[in-house]
Amino acid sequence: MLTVTALNKTYPNGKRGLIDVGFELQAGTVTAIIGPSGAGKTTLLRSLNRFITPESGTIELDGLELVGATRAALRQARRHIGMIFQDYNLIEPLSALENVLHGTLGDKRLLPGMMGLYTHAEKKRAMALLQEVGLAESATQPAKSLSGGQKQRVGIARALMQSPQVILCDEPIASLDPQSTATIMTLLAKLAKQKQLTIIINLHQVDLAREYADHIIGINAGRCVFDDATAALDDAALARIYAQEEAMVNG
Amino acid sequence: MAELTRYFSHQRRVRLLVFGTLLALLLLAQVALQLNVIEAATGVFAGWGWLVANFAPIASAFPALGEISWQLAATVLIAIAATMVAAGVALLLALAGARTTSHWPLAQALIRPFASIMRNIPFVAWALVLLFSFKQTPFTGFLALLLMSVGYLTRAFMETLDEVGHGVIEALEATGAGYWAIICQGVLPAAAAPLVSWLLYMIENNIRDATLVGMLTGTGVGFLFDLYFKSFRYPAAGLVVCAIILVTIAIELSATKLRQVLNA
Ligand SMILES: Nc1ncnc2c1ncn2[C@@H]1O[C@H](COP(=O)(O)OP(=O)(O)O)[C@@H](O)[C@H]1O
Ligand SMILES: [Mg+2]
Repeated sequence: MLTVTALNKTYPNGKRGLIDVGFELQAGTVTAIIGPSGAGKTTLLRSLNRFITPESGTIELDGLELVGATRAALRQARRHIGMIFQDYNLIEPLSALENVLHGTLGDKRLLPGMMGLYTHAEKKRAMALLQEVGLAESATQPAKSLSGGQKQRVGIARALMQSPQVILCDEPIASLDPQSTATIMTLLAKLAKQKQLTIIINLHQVDLAREYADHIIGINAGRCVFDDATAALDDAALARIYAQEEAMVNG
Repeated sequence: MAELTRYFSHQRRVRLLVFGTLLALLLLAQVALQLNVIEAATGVFAGWGWLVANFAPIASAFPALGEISWQLAATVLIAIAATMVAAGVALLLALAGARTTSHWPLAQALIRPFASIMRNIPFVAWALVLLFSFKQTPFTGFLALLLMSVGYLTRAFMETLDEVGHGVIEALEATGAGYWAIICQGVLPAAAAPLVSWLLYMIENNIRDATLVGMLTGTGVGFLFDLYFKSFRYPAAGLVVCAIILVTIAIELSATKLRQVLNA
């Protein structure tokens, strides 16, 4: 279970990215974070593995608090938080398999980590994960030779390699065509149930959130203005979440 | 309205100034070039003519071949050794100095200007300075090439590392990986092709420069050329020139081949 309370983030230029954001997410669910562009979705997601450090509030994952965590504790915690990116962020010249194996680097000591020494069991698991995301036959191909959808599946396998409790996804399908989008979203929804993961996805398309998410968090101007089951997302809620955007469109 | 007019007239002045400066530089270059073109053309012709007439590596020079290949090999090895040591030092400096990989603002602020200065002191100047301390030994040439290469490669490596970008680093930071694992498993593989490309370029350059440094430091194939030339053994000196050209071309070709393999 992931519990967030009273999270505040103010950027050095005075811009308030997050204002008193709090929620609680269950394992085995997909949560979509939606809201207008510039609302603070990325700020929120990147606070959850402390790529961004909020100045106040708490993030608790399995009894471990992240906002005040030391560097060592943070590294420890990140091992259980996978992340996938809009631009995949793979090491392009390396093979799909090697990219997946990078998911174990958090567990390694200095020298094995530097030298990329992986155990036989790790290699077998990486292969199995590639099989699970449907890429077994591309395992030895360099990442740069894969399509966007395939790269994102390698990214997912890399996150799974961490045996995570949480997977954070910032606009994971923004660079993909509709068919790959469906593949990726279906895969994420399936994995959440199968492996009892807490998956959090930033999206800017409401219909994708409706189709794939169990739970929705609506952000507007840094505030959490909706936090409920997907079924509860009605027109009034949407109007609240996208308030600013409409104000801009109407003048 | 008045403000808008002012804005546009300011824009116009800036553009005129830029355009005018460029034009002036162009004209200057034109003048300089026209003077030089004729001189350069005749000079080069005369040089080659004299070379062909006097330096033809005729049969009488071939006994020197053993000596020449020996010294040439020594020179090439010094160049390669200097480049490899420089590359190691430069990589560490670049990691400490590049925006993407550095955790130390002070190092970032210092290394860039340091590298620029090192790079901009020509190796000949290095060699002359080092001659005082290390006399006419191969070590002087090695050190001169090393110092210049450290500056050059640090700059090049730093830019290469910055181009890798933050995405690669974040992806591995997100797994909880430590700094050196991120560098060795993420950043370096991502940057390998351009890094090796710079290294090969530096080796090629240093082999050419090493022959020149040899003339100053009295070592290697450069010294041999000097010796033959001053003792009027022109055919042997010509043989040295041919050998240098051949080796340089061979190195260039193998470097190109290696780059192709790496980028495939
Ligand atoms: N590094 C930063 N410095 C200052 N302001 C920032 C920074 N990053 C984001 N912001 C601002 O914070 C707000 C939220 O940004 P972000 O979280 O990226 O929004 P979203 O992902 O919902 O589009 C925006 O107004 C953005 O301009
Ligand atoms: Mg965003």
